[in-house]
Amino acid sequence: MARKSILRTLNVTATIVLVAIFAIPFLWMISTSLKSYPETVIFPPKWIPSKVMWSNFQAAWESGPFLKYLMNSVVVSISILLLQFTTIILAAYAFARYSFKGDKLLFGITMVTLMIPGQLIFLPVYLLLSKWGLINNLLALILPFASSAFGIFMLRQSFKQVQEELIEAARLDQTPEWKIILRIMVPMARPTLVTFALFSFIAHWNDYFWPLVMTTSDAARTLPIGISKLREVDGGAAWHILMAGNMILVVPILIVFLFGQRQIIKAFVYSGVK
Amino acid sequence: MTFWSRFRPYVMVAPSIVIFSIFFIYPIFYMIFLSFYNWDFINPVKEFVGFNNFVELFKDSAFLQVLSNSLNYTLLSVSLSIVISLLLAIWLNREGAWYGFVQGALFSPHIVSLVSVSLVWMWLMDPKFGLLNGLLDMVGLPKLEWLSSPDSSLLSLVLVSVWKGVGYNALIFIAGLQSIPKDVYEASALDEANWWRKFYKITLPMLSPTLFFLIIINLISSFQVFETIAIMTNGGPINSTNTLVFYIYEYGFRYFKIGYASAAGVILLVVVGLLTLVYFKLLSRKVHYQ
Amino acid sequence: MKKFGSILLAATLAFAITGCGDSNSAGSTDNAAASGSSNGAASKPVEITYWYSWGDKIAENNENLVKMFNESQDEVIVKAEYQGSYADQHSKAQAAFAAGNAPEVWQNEIASVGVFAESGMTQELTSFVEKDQLDMDDFIPGLMGNSYVNDKLYALPYLRSTPILYFNRTMLEEAGLDPAGPKNWAEFEDYARKLTIKDQRYGISMPVDIWFYEAFVRQSGGTMISEDGKSAAFNNEAGIEPVKLWLKMKNEGIMSIGTTDDAGTQAKTDFHNQRSAMLFASTADLTNNMKVAEEQGFELGTTFMPANDTFGVPTGGANLVMTSGLSPEKQEAAWKFIKWMTSKEQTIYASSFTGYLPSRISAVESDEMKKLYEEKPLFKVAVDQLEYAGPRPMQKVYPEIGEMIKDEILRSVVDSSVTAEAAIAEAAKKADALLSK
Repeated sequence: MARKSILRTLNVTATIVLVAIFAIPFLWMISTSLKSYPETVIFPPKWIPSKVMWSNFQAAWESGPFLKYLMNSVVVSISILLLQFTTIILAAYAFARYSFKGDKLLFGITMVTLMIPGQLIFLPVYLLLSKWGLINNLLALILPFASSAFGIFMLRQSFKQVQEELIEAARLDQTPEWKIILRIMVPMARPTLVTFALFSFIAHWNDYFWPLVMTTSDAARTLPIGISKLREVDGGAAWHILMAGNMILVVPILIVFLFGQRQIIKAFVYSGVK
Repeated sequence: MTFWSRFRPYVMVAPSIVIFSIFFIYPIFYMIFLSFYNWDFINPVKEFVGFNNFVELFKDSAFLQVLSNSLNYTLLSVSLSIVISLLLAIWLNREGAWYGFVQGALFSPHIVSLVSVSLVWMWLMDPKFGLLNGLLDMVGLPKLEWLSSPDSSLLSLVLVSVWKGVGYNALIFIAGLQSIPKDVYEASALDEANWWRKFYKITLPMLSPTLFFLIIINLISSFQVFETIAIMTNGGPINSTNTLVFYIYEYGFRYFKIGYASAAGVILLVVVGLLTLVYFKLLSRKVHYQ
Repeated sequence: MKKFGSILLAATLAFAITGCGDSNSAGSTDNAAASGSSNGAASKPVEITYWYSWGDKIAENNENLVKMFNESQDEVIVKAEYQGSYADQHSKAQAAFAAGNAPEVWQNEIASVGVFAESGMTQELTSFVEKDQLDMDDFIPGLMGNSYVNDKLYALPYLRSTPILYFNRTMLEEAGLDPAGPKNWAEFEDYARKLTIKDQRYGISMPVDIWFYEAFVRQSGGTMISEDGKSAAFNNEAGIEPVKLWLKMKNEGIMSIGTTDDAGTQAKTDFHNQRSAMLFASTADLTNNMKVAEEQGFELGTTFMPANDTFGVPTGGANLVMTSGLSPEKQEAAWKFIKWMTSKEQTIYASSFTGYLPSRISAVESDEMKKLYEEKPLFKVAVDQLEYAGPRPMQKVYPEIGEMIKDEILRSVVDSSVTAEAAIAEAAKKADALLSK
């Protein structure tokens, strides 16, 4: 009996240590963001700042056009999502429920793009977009992602699982195809769509590489770029401002995560397992 | 079949296919094309140089180091990540609010942007004022160099990548573990056997699709590593953290040697392609499907 | 549900396309109002973009000057944009040029003036200078070396500098050292030794920076690149001595050499927090360092970089250049701006605001500057050091060479088995390879 409870205590302690390991970077970020500059550079490091500097957040926010960055991030992420919904629902339905000449080839092309990271194609795409005059335009951040092979793949699986009889019955009723898609398929694939939406939104919200390459001025930059620019302080490392800015980027996502934790985890896991 | 119904599927897949062709397929071919030229982006004339760029790349000791850095980084971060997350998954695969909370805590780094993660860790690893050295110092251990030494810089980046990725992997493993029906254990004679046999003979094979999936996902994404390098080290010190994608970015966007960068890009493509091929051929046989 | 979705989609896309275009059109909404109010029947003011580097006081200076220019006339409206370090700004300018939306005017770091002139990205300015009969003799001759490429004028001196030695005068006085600072390498080493307190502060904290290396090489009577620009000229005693000195001081623990990507920032941070007594930095950081010294409560001192055989520094900073291929209208506008920014009044303003050198002789001799130098002699140090200053190399591959030299020297810093001789030899070998292409 005693042995069991000792083991249990050990277990719980171990998990607490584990959580600490994962939480410490976040906690340290919070601590630093509230300190004054001299306090960030003392050694050994202190956890609780003696004076809480809320002004750091203002300094970070004002260090650049953060409102614009925020707006751009929102516009880009939502636009991508909306475009993706349109394109992947159509394509997934076609691949799932029709058979047509070249369908294997076209599906193959779709799947191949999963293997191609953005980091490989940015140069040619940059050249292309600059020819079209779209560099430094939000479209450069949106168009390349207007569809998603991952989404098509997932959705196709879901659509395939809808019972044949349901669709046949609707077809017999002379229901037009688009109604079938919207009224039957999409609702049945709702979990998949929600999963994908979360995935896509978070991925593009957090994207640093693509906006970095495709924008040359603040007018089109997104939040991650804005935060990283806080690093470029030449008068001495201003970690307190940097971490305050970081908080601006991290806290909203973490709050959303806190509330929707179960759903979000389910979404990611669901997509991984399937 | 009416004309429209014959035509319709193509119309439906067209937007996606067009996007993929313009932004993925075409660039790959264009990049391969560019790798045979020298071009500085401004000059309207491109100079044909055949395989010269590739020859130059392999003669460049910096590029060879970049290749080796990429391989080391990938090997280390993927193996550490997978092993640690598997162990964590087995340990934390229990019901209850507390375990739910722990799983959530583990997963939170994945949600946060890599930029934020890089910034925080850069600060944590500051050799003079960072918390990590502060903690080491407090327990009487010597301070580490982290990102300031070419010997430990790559490892430091691996640490960050593992921290970020372990939660995601662990949760997928947990889902995989939970989808193993209990009766499989009961049915086999191994019900009373020790933990290791149970694991090796049943759990692991049942988990193999998940393992298969996670390894390839982790492999591909670790070859794409960029943010941590761009923010934390800029490839240094002395190229010790320079990896393929960063090298391509540097030569394409800083030095504007477009042909040269494209050649490096072709090599990245070949490496990732080979890896995927080998992986599928070799290991897909070992995957046990239900 | 669906209807709402499609409306949202349309709205977002419309917003995306129109609301946040590229830098040129984004500014038009602001300027439409401005031009409307200032010009009735006259033509609309020409709008141009100006890119600059560095933040803090230097950014403030740029923004202030642009504002003053815009308010002083209404034919040209300049939109200023901060683009990070010189390296970042140059990359972006080149990318933007290829994309067809380069800024009309930008700051070209002096060692790269050749790079962009030779690739055809910047405009030759001779005809503009001749048309306006600009007094070229008024520019300080020592600053003109990096303005001509193959004897043609491509840039005008704007914010120019030399590296100087900053020191914590309070600490020097406490240690019983000459509060005027060390004068030569021997004193420099000695002071660093006396100012180091183990586990508390270093004599000096510095990054391996190509600019500082160039200075030390000059002080030993050497040069970086041969006259004909075809080979490295630093693989000799003049090029090796600096590295030897640094390694010696580092191994003794009196100099801290940062190896991370932000080593330069770290050196400044160390100096600001009084964890080091001396700092090499541009004179452009003068007003910033003065501000910090006051906040931190120590007295700031500046002096020449220490002499070896002689004093010696490279000049630094950036000149203003005009992008090539502009329409005549934009060229006029850009030239107006460049001319204004590099004139006497503006260089006096910029110099007093930041610590950068005044670029014109008439400025140095003006009453305002004379008064400044009397009240705040710290400002005069870089001007006096100009006597020993020379231009930076401008070969097309020099920026890459600079990176390589830095890497090789860093190698000898982190790996004790690599000697100074070996490091410099390797750097010279690589430089030769690049120069011969």
